[in-house]
Amino acid sequence: MRHVPSPVLRRLEDEPMAVPDVARRHLDDCRRCQAQSTEIAADAALAARVLAAPPEVGDIDLEWILLQDRLSRPGAARRPAVRPSRRMPRRLVNVSVGAGSAVVASVLAVGAAAAAVLTTVYAPTQVAPVRINANDLHAIENIMGISRLSGDLGPSGSTQLTFGKLSWSSAGPAQQVASLARASAMTHLAFPTPATLPSGVGAIGRITVQPQVTATVRFSQNAGPAVAGSTLTITAGPAIAVQYASTSGRSNLMTLAIVAARRPVASVKGEGGASGATASQLETFLLSRPGLPADLVQEIRLLGNPASVLPVPVPSGLWELKEQIGGAPAVLVTDPNGFASGVIWESGDGILHGVGGLLDKQDVFNVARQIG
Amino acid sequence: MEASFVTDLRSSPPGASFSGFERFFREEYPAVVRIAFGVVGDAQAAQDVAQDVFISAFKRFPEPGDSDHARAWVRAAAAHTALNAIRGERRRERRQRSAAVEVPAAGPEETVLDAESRTEVRRALSRLPRKAAAVLVLRHNGLSYAEVAEAMNVKVGHVGTMLRRAESALRKELQNAPRT
Repeated sequence: MRHVPSPVLRRLEDEPMAVPDVARRHLDDCRRCQAQSTEIAADAALAARVLAAPPEVGDIDLEWILLQDRLSRPGAARRPAVRPSRRMPRRLVNVSVGAGSAVVASVLAVGAAAAAVLTTVYAPTQVAPVRINANDLHAIENIMGISRLSGDLGPSGSTQLTFGKLSWSSAGPAQQVASLARASAMTHLAFPTPATLPSGVGAIGRITVQPQVTATVRFSQNAGPAVAGSTLTITAGPAIAVQYASTSGRSNLMTLAIVAARRPVASVKGEGGASGATASQLETFLLSRPGLPADLVQEIRLLGNPASVLPVPVPSGLWELKEQIGGAPAVLVTDPNGFASGVIWESGDGILHGVGGLLDKQDVFNVARQIG
Repeated sequence: MEASFVTDLRSSPPGASFSGFERFFREEYPAVVRIAFGVVGDAQAAQDVAQDVFISAFKRFPEPGDSDHARAWVRAAAAHTALNAIRGERRRERRQRSAAVEVPAAGPEETVLDAESRTEVRRALSRLPRKAAAVLVLRHNGLSYAEVAEAMNVKVGHVGTMLRRAESALRKELQNAPRT
């Protein structure tokens, strides 16, 4: 046989079964072809090494949202997609106190709600703090008309807002379950638990599952021409909350809470199959509501692209620190006396995590690092 | 064929539905962004390339379904769009160099690893013939010979020839890379 052509030797590296047996037999006995094969293999290995791509390919949910946004906006396809800045402003702020696991619970709930109303298409990839005080909350309640919603909302319902109609429904009621395995089976969420607990924290006392919640806002003509007719749909959860009792024997005292929840994701559609308002149009609309404090608007604008950042409200009187957990930005909130702390972050798989309790910030951080 | 990969940046018609495109996007996005990264060497730039590729793909295949042709097209488009990006970068660098103080050439003490840095790889790819660079990037991002052939619109038997020449050329470019 003639010598094996170099393209065949090359394919032998990748797809040997596609190469005729006769070529392989020749190679076994031909030093010239063996030498050429070695050179070809070295070139192939070099190319493979320098052209290797990383396993991480970005956030598909976010990229899909960005793509829809560009496709739906006249002229937007000409501009590159705008992603959030990877850097966030660092600061330590003083503001009022919350306590224990309520810090994390409120941070998750209020953060998701705040984010949801501030974006059209939304899939947060990281968390960032936003200072908020009682006046801000009051202003948001007035603007949204959500003060009427206080109390038990029930698994589904609707209410009229000043600029449209808000409807919500849950895939089921929140319920306590007997085991983490059961909670994971119901939610399809992995729930790692810390191997080492802080001093004073006892056994798991309660496991609660919250099924996915969906909320929609249908914008009326009162919302103005840019967003009227659009429907914003937000899904959040499911979530698992695990509360730990104390070692003191007081079974009703919960010392530590760990929460895992699928992040909120929002999408928008228009009437009759139209694409609806864009993210920027909704952001402009919501941030220009009369009565919204200018300082709060500025805080939110500092977040960069709101479509991918979950604002974590930091109430007045709390201290807030920017940290990293598992390589992801985290917001750690603590009261100045160190009685209660909480931390929230989003892992790369689109899951929000929260750890909080009647612990100082180092204890909370140590627990978070074990599960992050 | 190259002209067909030039990104068509006209906006979609008002009221366009993206539901038929979403599954295709989610399935193909990882491959497309990896191919782009193999060329541009930067995650953010690769994501930008992927966005442009899918903008163009939507115009061409708004309801791609399970079309093998559409899959091959976006992968080839990823390679070509990314190559366009680094060639534009190379042109910008040349303009900047011509207007700046001349940078002395690197000495012999620089290592082979330097020549294999991401920047050097990008430059080497940008100097290769377009088809050679595209074949390299596609093959080394997991496409089979048959898939590379489909994407490049060549016969399967020709892929080995193109790949062998391209890998040899890449090695020479990396070994002889002029430093800036």
